[in-house]
Amino acid sequence: MNGRRTRAFLRNRTAVAGACVLALFVAAALLAGVLAPFDPESRVPGDDVLVRTQPSAAHLLGTDENGFDVFSRLLHGARTSLLTATASILLALAVAVPLGAFAGWRGGLAESAVMRATDVSLAFPSIFLAVVIAAIRNDRSLATVVYAVAAVSVPPLVRQVRAAVLQVKAQDYVTAAVALGIPPWRILVTTVLPNCMAPILVLATLGTGTAILDAAGLSFLGLGPPPTAPEWGVMLTNGSRYALDPSLWFLLVPPGAAIALTVLGFNLFGDGLRDALDPRTRV
Amino acid sequence: MLHALRRIALAVPLLLVVSMVVFVVGELLPGDPAVDRFGEKGSPAAIAEWRARKGLDLPVHERYLRYVGGVVTRLDFGESYKDDYPVSSDLRDRFAATAELAFAALLLAVPAGIAAGTASAALRGRAADAAAQGTALLGVSIPVFWLGMILVLAARSVGWNHFQARFDVRAHDDAVAGFTTPFVLFESVLRGRFAVAASCAQHILVPALALATIPLATVMRMTRSAVLDEIGKDYVRTAEAKGVPRARAVVRHALRNALMPVVTVIGLQAGTLLSGAALTETVFTWPGLGTYIVSAVQKKDSPALVGGLLLVAATFVIVNLVVDLLYGVLDPRLRRSAS
Repeated sequence: MNGRRTRAFLRNRTAVAGACVLALFVAAALLAGVLAPFDPESRVPGDDVLVRTQPSAAHLLGTDENGFDVFSRLLHGARTSLLTATASILLALAVAVPLGAFAGWRGGLAESAVMRATDVSLAFPSIFLAVVIAAIRNDRSLATVVYAVAAVSVPPLVRQVRAAVLQVKAQDYVTAAVALGIPPWRILVTTVLPNCMAPILVLATLGTGTAILDAAGLSFLGLGPPPTAPEWGVMLTNGSRYALDPSLWFLLVPPGAAIALTVLGFNLFGDGLRDALDPRTRV
Repeated sequence: MLHALRRIALAVPLLLVVSMVVFVVGELLPGDPAVDRFGEKGSPAAIAEWRARKGLDLPVHERYLRYVGGVVTRLDFGESYKDDYPVSSDLRDRFAATAELAFAALLLAVPAGIAAGTASAALRGRAADAAAQGTALLGVSIPVFWLGMILVLAARSVGWNHFQARFDVRAHDDAVAGFTTPFVLFESVLRGRFAVAASCAQHILVPALALATIPLATVMRMTRSAVLDEIGKDYVRTAEAKGVPRARAVVRHALRNALMPVVTVIGLQAGTLLSGAALTETVFTWPGLGTYIVSAVQKKDSPALVGGLLLVAATFVIVNLVVDLLYGVLDPRLRRSAS
């Protein structure tokens, strides 16, 4: 990003707010080991087992049904959720960028084959696709969540990368490169793809927010990580058992609000990034 | 016409490939259904007999062809491995529940979304616009099942207790037993059984509210940007210059011409909602396709899973096809350029 684009981004107050929210959660994720007062996966030490105790000075957000400190789990959950979502999106990009670029650049039969394949997978709502993949792997772990979420992120990414490549392909500088006799694959790698980086960056940002929601949904359907894992979706699912008791709000509200705020942060940041990088939407 | 036929012809191979993928998924579910059914110590004779009855001793391609043949000719989706109940009759009930919920959600989301989007465009840059946009963004960022739980909590705290079924079973079970379709809400209205209809409406309200958030936000954002595109055009300025009040110029002139992309978005949302909202249905234990598929996965019931996924994908493909064809009807320019 050059100075002009940075300034355009900084003028966008909502985008900056999104970036600040994200920075806060990233900081929580990085510093979870230092900031968290207790271990997120073991009982709070003491003579009595403290199960579902109300928030107090020692336990800012109380303790959950296992006697784990909710605040510590929330901090470590930031780490788990952000890592899971980022890993899923990076994995999805690693598959989708070559496929989409190849389809858009080559055209013809290769393009039809890739696009029909995405048609088939887009015929299923993403949550079912994720559920089925998790069921087939038959192992409740973070790796399963990463694979399932990555798999559902691939088809839309392939389409959007292809669209971006098609747009760049029509530019005069690409025609010029072809006329100069530069080999096609080299034009793709050195000219076309770098010019697609801006839309891909925006897609990756918005996709990470969706990935957090998908991962939480998998947990809620009982196909995510094991119930003691410090992960927001898991915390929310465990808390949902006490949804009828308003006095136990601290088991339900913090993890849900953390997910909503982080996803909101990614959406605001992504929208701001798009406006800053795409000259056409700039007013 | 040619365009329509070509689109329909393209949907058929797509559905065939979808059916293969779905069938393979059913095969890949872990575990052996016969062992699940009879236990590790089940008698080998009973297991062999059961496998033969289910056709499990046949090679996979033969079973696939039989399955597709059954679906296409008799709408026969096989029988559940767990209770031997025909999957097709489950799917019929489940689809009706999902369709009514989707309809209710769209009924809440579409008018509100179009109104809010138009108002937001007309008031561009003001506080109301910013508030509407912020709310819409929040709507797509909140985990829908969390919103559902909060709504249940809020509803119960004001004494609203219409959850757990599609209507008050104790009061209306006899009346509903006489219905001919599983569309309880629609049929009770058509039959003039307003007590049943009222009970259905009460039970569907909160789940529909939760499900409506995403279509509401999507329709609102699309309407806003489409109306903004039109509002700057000459004919709107001309109308205003001729003394047409601002509100009328926006609604009668700009909004009308902006509705095309909005209709597409509504169609896409309808396709998504009709194919089952797994998370929302799970929160409200709504007996729809979403909960059916999730429970089929949890119980490793392949025929139920395959049937459910097939119906979901077919619904999605068909709704999108209809939207695509409607687009041509609504905008004659597209018809000409396509053929």
